[in-house]
Amino acid sequence: MSGWESWLVGTVSRALAFGTPLLWATLGEIYAERAGVVNLGVEGMMALGAFFGFAMAKVTGNPWVAIVLAALAGGTASLLHAFLSVTLRANQYVSGLALTMFGLGLSGLLGRGWTGQPLFHSLKSISIPGLSHIPYIGPMFFQKQSVLLYIGVLLALAMWFILFHTRWGLAIRAVGESPATADAMGINVFAVRYLCVFIGGLLAGVAGGFLSVEYRPAWTEGMTAGMGWIAIALTIFVAWNPLQALGGAFLFGALYHLSYRLQQYVSPELLKTLPYVAAILVLSLTATGAARRRRGAPAALGIPYVRGER
Amino acid sequence: MRKALLVLGVLLLVGAMGLAAEKTLKVAWIYVGPIGDYGWTYAHDQARQIVEKTFPWLKTTYIESVPEGQVESFIDQLVAQGYQVIFTTSFGFMDGTLAAAKKYPDVIFAHCSGFKRHKNMATYMADFHEVYYLNGLMAGALTKTGKIGYVAAHPIPELKRHINAFAIGAREVNPNAEVHVRWIYEWYNPAAAKEAAEALIAEGCDVFAFTEDSPTVVQVAAEHKMPVFGHYSPMYKFAPDYVVSGQLVHWEAFYLDFLAKIYAGMYNTENLADVDWWGLLHNGGVEMGADFGMPINPKWVPVLKDKIIDHPFFGKISVYDLVMKRLEQIADKQMVFNPFQGPIYDRNGVLRIPEGTRASYDELLTMQWAVQGVVGPWPGEPKE
Repeated sequence: MSGWESWLVGTVSRALAFGTPLLWATLGEIYAERAGVVNLGVEGMMALGAFFGFAMAKVTGNPWVAIVLAALAGGTASLLHAFLSVTLRANQYVSGLALTMFGLGLSGLLGRGWTGQPLFHSLKSISIPGLSHIPYIGPMFFQKQSVLLYIGVLLALAMWFILFHTRWGLAIRAVGESPATADAMGINVFAVRYLCVFIGGLLAGVAGGFLSVEYRPAWTEGMTAGMGWIAIALTIFVAWNPLQALGGAFLFGALYHLSYRLQQYVSPELLKTLPYVAAILVLSLTATGAARRRRGAPAALGIPYVRGER
Repeated sequence: MRKALLVLGVLLLVGAMGLAAEKTLKVAWIYVGPIGDYGWTYAHDQARQIVEKTFPWLKTTYIESVPEGQVESFIDQLVAQGYQVIFTTSFGFMDGTLAAAKKYPDVIFAHCSGFKRHKNMATYMADFHEVYYLNGLMAGALTKTGKIGYVAAHPIPELKRHINAFAIGAREVNPNAEVHVRWIYEWYNPAAAKEAAEALIAEGCDVFAFTEDSPTVVQVAAEHKMPVFGHYSPMYKFAPDYVVSGQLVHWEAFYLDFLAKIYAGMYNTENLADVDWWGLLHNGGVEMGADFGMPINPKWVPVLKDKIIDHPFFGKISVYDLVMKRLEQIADKQMVFNPFQGPIYDRNGVLRIPEGTRASYDELLTMQWAVQGVVGPWPGEPKE
């Protein structure tokens, strides 16, 4: 394999690999925001997921138990945000930022003794028998990828279906668009918001666990290195739609890979900014009120709900 | 062994100065990162623990994760607590440390990686260019595709010097070898390091070295069953089958020497303006190894012993013997050999180091050009 084939295969397969944690975290944030709660704590929840996942994998030797614990760590942390922003109606942006700092700090503190230890029971990537031997398609999609990639893709489909084609999804969207109306319809606004924020936390936790248990099986403080923030930008970029999240996460993965692959031809300084420039461009284009509405931003996003107030 | 000798020497020195008087030296370290970073700050703190265990008359403390702009207020605090010697371990602490040295003339300061000194402020640094050269010899022997990958942090003279030394080594063994470089523009970013390594693999590289503060590149190489050289801390345990060798630092070599000399009265608040310690192989500041005390991973020794080359100086020799000979020559107190020995041309054909000379200390510290065999972008590359 050489020339353009190596470029195509390499780019697609790395886009999927790097896109996996972004996909999980973005799917989670989509649900939280669909219910009207912005959670800027993704980075913190991912860091906690990464630490607890790693520690659990070391202790039990079972990477799947580790991923489950990583999810729970992210989920538990998200309840803090839910309590502050839904129950106490604190400013969601401030509470989310606090959660990020809390998550990074706590994982760093607890992780002291775990730094620099190798992990032998990591989650191994898989090649799907049969499919992995199809020319081009095999190495692109079915060789040495994470099981969490495939689960993530199925999850995106399921989450899209639930959000747009079931009563539950309708309830979530109603809470995000007009909590007062939803309340009048008999939907428990607080319960829905708590649940969606919790789902966001679980998925961010898995994204973190993926990083420390599979993607790079080791723990170091701050190893999430800004991925949580990318997930938040992606949420807006993909217009709060789980199906589009697939495209967004993998597109970002491809840009990230290419920013290293293309260094021979294009200035590395410029390439390094590429994915972020793309994010800023999209955000600027979609930030105006009308565009925001057209793209489907939940109308009550970021606004705490108080019963009886308009 | 060398460390033991060093400690012994230092102890003898202290004894010889006849210091019977009981006094305690209070010494503090100011770190830029968390001690758990497993890279830069971790290595300094390991050294701090060693000196504290070695010298019974020493009392130490540290402050970690200090923002670069705030070093002065932390120094104020330490001086108020009676600390007499203060180490600051980040380039960005330089001006703050100098200001503090002028403000507190009775306190001794030493700043790591900078170039400003004062009568009570020394500087120190450890450099890996010799070790990278030795690692390069092995990499040149191990590559099958002739392409060696290097994941690099920032395009600054320090890294350029290291990559050049690495390429010089690789081409001494394998004149057609290429060192392909990718920059990630961060000292610490595991995801970036991983994707940069994957990009190099896609281009056909099959042996790896790097500068980034995590074992990521080691793990990626191992996943693809490719040999790799560890960086900064012992990374053997992360991939016992694939870490061939690596670069290791011994900051305690400086701390032991410096503190013993202060205790003995040789260094004081008046005579440090010219004290600039550079840790190399000959003074024990750095070590070549997959792990401390393991210069080459035993699994790779037979491979290197079987690889016989025709060397312009040594004649027929195995790469293993070549590495050991060069190690001995470089570590020699007389500095019999240095990787940057002329004639060396840069990759644009400009003669950089004429025949019969070596790169000077200043040339090493300001190196911007790339040697032949380095492939990839080289920000700041001089045209002439």
